[in-house]
Amino acid sequence: MMPIWTKSGKKHAVTLLKVQDCHVLRYISKEESGGKTSKLLVGGKNASPFFKSESAMEIFKEAGVPRKQKVTTFNVTDDAIIKPGTPLYAAHFRPGQFVDVTAKTIGKGFQGVMKRWGFKGQPASHGQTKTHRRPGAISTNKAAKVYRGKKMPGKMGNIYRTSFGLKVWRINTKHDVIYVNGSVPGHTNCLVKVRDSKLPTYKDCNKNPPFPTFFADGDEKLPEDLYDEEIFQFTDPSVTYA
Amino acid sequence: YFSSSGYRISSDGKPAKFQLPPKPVIIDKQKQRKERRFLSPEFIPPRGRTDPLKFFIERKDMIQRRKVFNIPEFYVGSVLAVTTADPHASEKVTRFVGICIQRGGKGLGATFVLRNVIEDQGVEICYELYNPRIQAIEVLKLEKRLDDNLMYLRDALPEYSTFDVNMKPESRLDHEEVPVNKLQVRMKPKPWSKRWERPKYNIKGIKFELPEKKMKEAQKWSQPWLEFDMLREYDTSKIEDKIWKEVSEGLKK
Repeated sequence: MMPIWTKSGKKHAVTLLKVQDCHVLRYISKEESGGKTSKLLVGGKNASPFFKSESAMEIFKEAGVPRKQKVTTFNVTDDAIIKPGTPLYAAHFRPGQFVDVTAKTIGKGFQGVMKRWGFKGQPASHGQTKTHRRPGAISTNKAAKVYRGKKMPGKMGNIYRTSFGLKVWRINTKHDVIYVNGSVPGHTNCLVKVRDSKLPTYKDCNKNPPFPTFFADGDEKLPEDLYDEEIFQFTDPSVTYA
Repeated sequence: YFSSSGYRISSDGKPAKFQLPPKPVIIDKQKQRKERRFLSPEFIPPRGRTDPLKFFIERKDMIQRRKVFNIPEFYVGSVLAVTTADPHASEKVTRFVGICIQRGGKGLGATFVLRNVIEDQGVEICYELYNPRIQAIEVLKLEKRLDDNLMYLRDALPEYSTFDVNMKPESRLDHEEVPVNKLQVRMKPKPWSKRWERPKYNIKGIKFELPEKKMKEAQKWSQPWLEFDMLREYDTSKIEDKIWKEVSEGLKK
């Protein structure tokens, strides 16, 4: 995570996400998947082809791509279908866009009720016998049972969570790095799924995104760094208030 | 044309051929002294599992900012004057003079804390080195102290933290080594904000006027095994060399 300053002098914290060898693996049509839209399987970081069964390697062989560590699905409209095997780059996103980031949260193991659900616990002194971090009562007398989903101690973390509506401040095309506002679930160097935001406020935010994606061998030659309009670039002189 | 070489007579009496005088050998005494290299501590990446690419990209940004805005060399204990752009000030610019007590943070978020006593009120301001609102950083007095962290000045007598706001910058030669001020500071009576006599802070710059019994009691909290702990070792010499080369090349361009 890094600080970033706007032209008005405000500081924002930013997470760096690297797009490492992403390829489109397979196209699944609407009828095949049974959903409302067609799907595209996308694979992430390269991994070793050994220690995996033949059936799992089939998808990668079809697309002609080395084995990927993570495979996710994206729901795509029919006009945005991409041929399997095309590489995806960070330039697929543009500064000023809004994005949802999904990842597995840091696993904390088996945790008690105070850390996992934020219960208040009991006082440290004044006569408490062996009760300082316990849940206390779990149900009422009339219910005569414990409801399903009662908050109790258990394994915490290591589940998929999404942070919505994160602004993209800057994109580095040379190293394929996306600068995303705020924090992102997951530990450092974990695999993360970045998707166009589905929040209703940002529905019409993307002005001329690269559609269906940014092709590296195309005619477009992008500069090494793409900045948002409000970012203070370090090539400019210091900020002044006239 | 006229040449005097024919009139020069050598020892045999015949006209001697012109001999070039021996080339002067310039012995630059300044260069003979070891070149002093200063790498700002925020360039050195902390020990961790972060991808080195992140530090590389951050260093590029830091070098870019240093090309446009000069960040001088300074240490904890030197007196600085910082002018910042402020939307709420009458002249839109605020100037603060103080002694640097602490340098923290790595990369673009590196900070330094300046302390001064203005009208009997101690003031500490934490500035970010790479904040674009900073217009100028001047070093009024460049010197080092015996410690890396001068937080104990909060509990020292206020005369040690007062500096004149209109102080003139001290001139010094470039090649001289940075002077170390071996000042031993006198403290206010206890209680202090932290127990500075304890060995964990390892402070050399205080003149402890506590009784011997208290000093011995403070040594109870010493952890003499810490200096032999191999897992805590972080040798930065090779990393520093590489980064110094990268930074100096980046600044030259």
